[in-house]
Amino acid sequence: MNWIVEMAASFLRPDEGEAVLGDLAESGEGPWKALCAVAGLVTRQQLEPWRSWRPWVASSVALPASLLLLGVSFGLSVDSVNLLHDGPVRGTVVCEALLMLAWAWMGGFMVGSLSRRTRWISAVLCAVPCLSCVLRFHDSSLSRFCVLLFLVPGVVGSVQGMRHVRLNFTMAVVLATAVSGLMLAWSGMYAWYWPLLLPAWFLVATANRSRGLVA
Amino acid sequence: MLGEFEYILVTVAAGLGENAYGAVIREEIEKNMCRKCSIGALYTTIERLETKGLLKTRMGEATAQRGGRAKRMVRVTAKGEQAAREFYEAMMRVSRNASWAVKEPEGTS
Repeated sequence: MNWIVEMAASFLRPDEGEAVLGDLAESGEGPWKALCAVAGLVTRQQLEPWRSWRPWVASSVALPASLLLLGVSFGLSVDSVNLLHDGPVRGTVVCEALLMLAWAWMGGFMVGSLSRRTRWISAVLCAVPCLSCVLRFHDSSLSRFCVLLFLVPGVVGSVQGMRHVRLNFTMAVVLATAVSGLMLAWSGMYAWYWPLLLPAWFLVATANRSRGLVA
Repeated sequence: MLGEFEYILVTVAAGLGENAYGAVIREEIEKNMCRKCSIGALYTTIERLETKGLLKTRMGEATAQRGGRAKRMVRVTAKGEQAAREFYEAMMRVSRNASWAVKEPEGTS
């Protein structure tokens, strides 16, 4: 039974696991009670971050943004192929590609910065629609992985968001303004893509706040 | 402001001084509050209070009684003492007209 308790304690930080197992030994708890105590602590630690609004917002962004970006990636892949057969104007495709990069990176940055301790939940919420879409994809002219084009900038953004948390204010404003301008200019823009602009202005709002604190 | 359990933990840790660590804090809480204190509640609260800067922890020595495992020693910071004092004073203020609050006899300082 003790090895099960030790295995459960491996979900804790090494120093914390050591202290908890020592406390349980000192208190003379039986193996079953010790297992319940460690499992209870692990569960509490997983739930603790959810007392804050941050992981809730991150989760609310991760799922719908993934769904929208799957559509954007597919649209970009189709337009890129059609470009070879007198399809859309080259500038439109470039605009679409830039927007996808920016949306994915900024969405990833926002999710990463808000959900460092709950990143696996955000990752699952992003992965489920991706997996579902890849498995159901049927188009002989395109690879099924074309819908995942947004994943690379999205993952890069989330890693940077976890590291840096906030963007430089000037950079955030420039990015948000550029993306808003591109969205207005892009002829293929649909109304349901507008929510993808929210992360851009969220990054401006949080960057602005950090600048205010410094001042 | 501190929560009820946070205040209890900070107060018990302050009372134990240099000897404050998980198992002893838990024992003191259970003895004085006449209620069970789970390891989960204790360590999650210690973690939260440390993040807020109200406690500091460090790994202490290991003993045979603990199966050779180290203790996680807890120390209340000045900020923690201030937060506990504010909680205590607020409880005193809010309780002053309650029938169960003990009033000091007049003339005592």
